[in-house]
Amino acid sequence: MNKTDGLIRDIRAIKEKYQSKRAALLPALYLAQREFGWLSPEALEFVAEALDVPKASIKGTATFYAMFKNKPVGRHLIQLCTNVACMIMGAERLVDLLRDKYGIEPNGTSADGRFSLVIMECIGACDTAPAMLINEDFYDNLNKENIIDILENYK
Amino acid sequence: MITVTINGKKITLEKQVTVLEAARSAGIKIPTLCHHETLEAFGGCRLCLVEIEKIPKLQTSCTIYITDGMVVHSETERVVNARKAMLEFLLINHPLDCPYCDKAGECDLQDLAAKYGPTTGRFAEGKRTHPESYDDPVIVRNMERCISCTRCVRMCDKVQGASAISMVNRTSKTFVEPFSGKRYDCEYCGNCLSVCPVGAIMSRMYKHKYRPWYIDKNINTICSYCGVGCSVTAQVKGDSLVRVVPEMGKGLNKGLLCVRGRFGYDYVNSSARLKTPLIRRNGELQQVTWSEAFKYAADRLRDIKERYGSEAIAGIAGGRCANEDIYIFQKFIRGVLGSNNIDSIANFSYAPAQRFFERIFGQGVTANSIQGISNSDGIFVVGGDPTSINPILGLQIRAAYQQGIPVITVGDTPGLKRFATCMLKPNPFTETALLVSLLSELKVKKQFLGGNSSFERLINNISALSMKEVEDICGLPTDNIASAVNMLSNMTNPSIVIGKDILQRTDGHINLLLLSAIMYLINGRVYLLSEFPNEQGLVDMGCLPDMLPGGRPIEIESFKKRYEEIVGLNISSTHGLSLSGIIENAYTGKIKAIQIIGENVLSNIPDSNYVGKAFSNLELLIVQDSLMTETAGLAHVVLPSLSWLERKGSYTNLERRMQFMGKAVEGDGLEDWRIISEISKMLSFDMGYKGLEDILSEIARVSPLHKDITYNDISGDECIWPYKGEPLRHGVSLEGMDVPDIGSLLKKPAKDRVYAVFDKELFHPDSLSRKSAAISSISPEPCSRVNRALADRLSVSEGDYLNISTDAGSIEMAVKIDEDIPENVVMIPNNFEGKGIFNIMQWKLNPVLKCPVLDGNEVKLKKAEARS
Repeated sequence: MNKTDGLIRDIRAIKEKYQSKRAALLPALYLAQREFGWLSPEALEFVAEALDVPKASIKGTATFYAMFKNKPVGRHLIQLCTNVACMIMGAERLVDLLRDKYGIEPNGTSADGRFSLVIMECIGACDTAPAMLINEDFYDNLNKENIIDILENYK
Repeated sequence: MITVTINGKKITLEKQVTVLEAARSAGIKIPTLCHHETLEAFGGCRLCLVEIEKIPKLQTSCTIYITDGMVVHSETERVVNARKAMLEFLLINHPLDCPYCDKAGECDLQDLAAKYGPTTGRFAEGKRTHPESYDDPVIVRNMERCISCTRCVRMCDKVQGASAISMVNRTSKTFVEPFSGKRYDCEYCGNCLSVCPVGAIMSRMYKHKYRPWYIDKNINTICSYCGVGCSVTAQVKGDSLVRVVPEMGKGLNKGLLCVRGRFGYDYVNSSARLKTPLIRRNGELQQVTWSEAFKYAADRLRDIKERYGSEAIAGIAGGRCANEDIYIFQKFIRGVLGSNNIDSIANFSYAPAQRFFERIFGQGVTANSIQGISNSDGIFVVGGDPTSINPILGLQIRAAYQQGIPVITVGDTPGLKRFATCMLKPNPFTETALLVSLLSELKVKKQFLGGNSSFERLINNISALSMKEVEDICGLPTDNIASAVNMLSNMTNPSIVIGKDILQRTDGHINLLLLSAIMYLINGRVYLLSEFPNEQGLVDMGCLPDMLPGGRPIEIESFKKRYEEIVGLNISSTHGLSLSGIIENAYTGKIKAIQIIGENVLSNIPDSNYVGKAFSNLELLIVQDSLMTETAGLAHVVLPSLSWLERKGSYTNLERRMQFMGKAVEGDGLEDWRIISEISKMLSFDMGYKGLEDILSEIARVSPLHKDITYNDISGDECIWPYKGEPLRHGVSLEGMDVPDIGSLLKKPAKDRVYAVFDKELFHPDSLSRKSAAISSISPEPCSRVNRALADRLSVSEGDYLNISTDAGSIEMAVKIDEDIPENVVMIPNNFEGKGIFNIMQWKLNPVLKCPVLDGNEVKLKKAEARS
């Protein structure tokens, strides 16, 4: 319960900044997603309660935006770019590597629940491609060797 | 003045409207899908595109406003091609399962595709699939057909205010869903299915049972559930009822309905319908012929009248009978049987409250238009939840709130939770103290001097309670009360919506006085909530122990004489017994015979045990009803009357508007008035009516209020009080109005006790809706509500059963957790046989209003044993 006390406080603080409570919905959903890991029905009901916005409307918003997770994800979320620059620099071989070594399919989660993989379309790091985000950490100049070292830091 | 030219036609309009509205006003058709007259413009479907000169791109006519000199073309080749393209897009994913779809024949998409649509599509890929949802008992969702026009979602959010559904996901995977993705968790108003232009949200009640083009007749009638009186249309094929639907924009409901009006009509075909007359022989009700039943009833009535006198006979009329029935009924009881013991449930607070307000503010003070609520600048709700008692009236309050009008509520009003600016939730049964405090603070705010009239002097004599004292009694923070007072004092044109719960109290008469005083100070328009479609009719038609039709006091010789002359019968000038008096006298054995038409007294009056004993004492109980009820189960004679939809007649709603109900189908039984006149004939008074017209013309002569009224008037839109007649004129009379003893209000309810509070819930506010299979499928059993703390104390969780007992008895009921009610309260409905709050209450009357009171029922609660 203590975990969500802080979340309520944060959501209410955001709500204060906006004239309409619906305007606070996107930032509130981000906070809830960080706390719950994904936007589970419980997480949505939590936001509905904290913002006093009907839960069906919240579901509409939460399912519209791709960066809100509507199904459970692993402990760490890998967002790897395979757009043109990264592709040329071998990003697709990195996808194969993740599949072979960790058993993660694109848009899937490893069996041990450690990693989820999302294929991104350009994260603005074309000059240092290939690039990826793990949770909110940014990594570039990836290759088959250093990506494994990086991933080993996320247990 | 703005002049525009559409398709070469010059149109001059006073107001700046949209191009679509301008075109439609001139009879020019522009197709639409997402536009709906009850909803705000959306501009999503692009079907209403038009070409406007000097604007290069095509424009959506539903969102663009006219300007002077604008030239619009709505059917050029460019426009038609654009529409064709839009339809081609919509049809990419639409399943085109028209032969199987119920909407075919009345589907906007089908009609538009026939008119504009491409004959073939260019999209070769497969269509999206989505299983049809049967999660709901009365609604079926087929999201493959959905064209994402969002009409349903906008209806649910903006008009109904339920916000139960939304568009989920993106692109071609967009569907309309409730939060659960499965069953709706909402009020089941079904207004979403009324606005769906395709077959995506449909009623299950007539699924695959009809085709729109087979409907032979559309019969306009009035919903039979509550006092609002919504217009509905019954559609008939051959001699059977296909469905009952609203018509958009029509009636005072403008095509909106609540769950009862939309789905509850199937009680007409309930298995509980009475088909033949019954007479009790050897303790059992046995089928007899009509003539046997008439003769038996007449013989027994004559016998009782001869042996015990007329005063031993009484009549109780029901609020779902038509005006014509109840007029004949009071004539029969008064004139033929010679007894003024005639009353109805309307006299349990609705009629006394109205009379009280009329004594102070003049006749017709409650005759206010429901539509007017959203035009007021403030709303004060007390004594019940309008969104469950009179849902369509409740929508007006929600609409007002959404426009920024302050709404103040007192008590448990779950349906206004998101629509109240200030919610006052006093401790149970302490509203009187709260009202005293509101009044005294308002007197200060309004700088009320109070010497201008006798009522002002009376208001002045009501002593004050400080907010601090009230905080202590009611458990309400002072700033909560202060903000309510602030809002109230700033209102200039407020609506005051009063439910019966505040009046059916030990202090109900005091509450009535306090409410009148508040109304006086803030210049409020009053609305009395009513559970019955013809409660006002009971008052106007003289189903009261002391009033003749048209609200004329019986003791005034000239009125009595006029009545006797027209009716051709002599009547007594002494007041009869009121409903509570009738029941008490039946209990003590003084009343020997009661005739009841269309009222399940046993279920609808507390306490059922007392009423049951009173009825068992009777030598004769005659019940006319279309359904077998608990009350009919005790009767000696049961006479099946025709149900709603099977007979014509008129209702008078809570605005005092008379409306006509049409006949759609044949049924078993007779009209109540016909049954009564047959019995009357056996008692050697032939009423001689050939039809309803004869009755109405007699009403028009007997009741000065209904002078010269005809069915033409009633079928029109504007048959509102005082019709064409004359209301009774009288001066302000304050005789017998007591100033409350403030000291006696300083009682705090004991914290360690739990009180039962009557819950008039949306699905089953009384005992009729349980006969509807559709509503029972939504809400199959009664449910009590307690808050979390009390539930924890009792170790019950949602879905468990609660044993609720008093000295009068005990009931078991499922329990729901509701955080919004106080810890020392259990909310209990009264809707299912033998399982209601009225089964465990004591017979206790308000000393002035003479109605049973609902307060102070202390209960013992425990978790019920596991049910098998």
